[in-house]
Amino acid sequence: MNTIACFKIVPDDTLIKIVGDKLELNVPPKISTYDKNAIEEAVRIKEKFGGKAIGVTAGNTDRKSIREALAMGLDEVIAINMRDQDVMTTAEVIAETISSIKPDIILAGESTTDSSGSVFPPYLASLLGYPVITYAKSILVEGNKVRVERNLTSFSEVVEANLPVVISVVGEINTPRIPTVRQILESAKKPVKTIDYNRQPKIKITKVSPYVTSRKKIIIEGKMEEAVDKLLSYLSQEGVL
Amino acid sequence: MKRVVIYSEDIESIKTAASYFGNENTIAISNKEVHFTDELHLIDDIKEDFIVNYIVSLNPEIVVTGSTKRDKTIAGAVAGLMKVPIIPDVTEINGNLAKRIVYSGMGIAEIEFSYPVVLTISKKSVEVKEKGTKVIKVQTKEEKIKRIEIKSKGEGGVDLSSAQIIVSVGRGIGSKENIKYAEELANALGAALGGSRPVTSELGWLPEDRQIGLSGLKVKPKLYIALGISGQPQHLAGIKDSKIIVAVNTDKNAPIVENADYIIVGDAIEFCKVMTEKVKKK
Repeated sequence: MNTIACFKIVPDDTLIKIVGDKLELNVPPKISTYDKNAIEEAVRIKEKFGGKAIGVTAGNTDRKSIREALAMGLDEVIAINMRDQDVMTTAEVIAETISSIKPDIILAGESTTDSSGSVFPPYLASLLGYPVITYAKSILVEGNKVRVERNLTSFSEVVEANLPVVISVVGEINTPRIPTVRQILESAKKPVKTIDYNRQPKIKITKVSPYVTSRKKIIIEGKMEEAVDKLLSYLSQEGVL
Repeated sequence: MKRVVIYSEDIESIKTAASYFGNENTIAISNKEVHFTDELHLIDDIKEDFIVNYIVSLNPEIVVTGSTKRDKTIAGAVAGLMKVPIIPDVTEINGNLAKRIVYSGMGIAEIEFSYPVVLTISKKSVEVKEKGTKVIKVQTKEEKIKRIEIKSKGEGGVDLSSAQIIVSVGRGIGSKENIKYAEELANALGAALGGSRPVTSELGWLPEDRQIGLSGLKVKPKLYIALGISGQPQHLAGIKDSKIIVAVNTDKNAPIVENADYIIVGDAIEFCKVMTEKVKKK
């Protein structure tokens, strides 16, 4: 059983700030939140069924983040250096890169914190000709099949598909492990294969500006009784209560 | 005229798409009877892989879907089969420019595109005239994905996506038991009860379908009351369209403070008790 975890290295969304009329994106990178769940799930499948758990990342190939993914238990990482990327070019290069590995299960987070489109896993599946199951909250591997429970917000659905398959996972599927010091040290010895890839996306981001809704930021302090009275009068002035 | 195929399980999304491409040759695919396009291909069930192949077989130049989880899954797979670019969660289209929200709701990106393309769009409230739509019934078939079971979640309380007032809880509420104070306040206000990602999908204090934020529901109430919610970008992305945001938090430096209209510095439970009493007396 070979499992691939796709993960993206993104600017840490909790550190991005709006400075004037610009977004300050020059912040430390991190593995995108739900992609860590994909890595964790790949490592768990490997621990249970053997085989290899391989990481694939495309875009920013920050070494520290890749080391973290390896320390979590991946056997190796394929790092694809891309300057400009969109869903299409990212899926194309990943499909080309992993087709020789013949993976049984390809995992990815349901969405990344930078772009949050959720459309990369199904795009990749189509290129590979694999079925896709999105928003998995649990994965059960049985022989050459997977049984997956999907979180579709207002309800959930249990589906089955044959391997090989592409699965996107939601945050509740597991709790990503925090590597031990030993695992971090050992990760330095694990292989990282770097590929450079340049293909101009057909769509072009022409501008990124801060998205702000201006808020009044009125702070009400003091005793709760009085604070609530003040709030109620504000809210009735606003016409919302 | 371009052939535009519109797919969504949500009527409002089909309306929004029809409003963008009203002058083109439009085909809607949906499990709902909607008459805003030249043709409607009325499907009897949502089988994602069948719908993907069906859309591609229509040879569209533009594919537009809504932004529900299944809509986006279909859109991504269609774009991959057609080998064309995809722009998800488009909030505005102007000629060949699309706008979408990026960086967990902190940025807005402008993207230049050409055809063919696949777009998923965020629904807007638009007025669209009904058309003399030609309706074709389509029977879906099971393909590679086999559905075993649908588990519906118990419908509790007011619908979040259309609620006028929302009371929402975060980790700062302290415990699952304390949720009842927020619930009492919600009842007194006739509000819907929601929660942040930690209290829904991580701690299970509220069911997952109550999650508000980037990976949950995006809401737009008149009044949003955030109780013990620190205000991570992932949560803020889901509440940006609220008219008035009230935050109750013990920490004056929490990120929610910068993103609220009125902030009460104090204990969320005490706030609930006092506020519930006062609202009831009104």
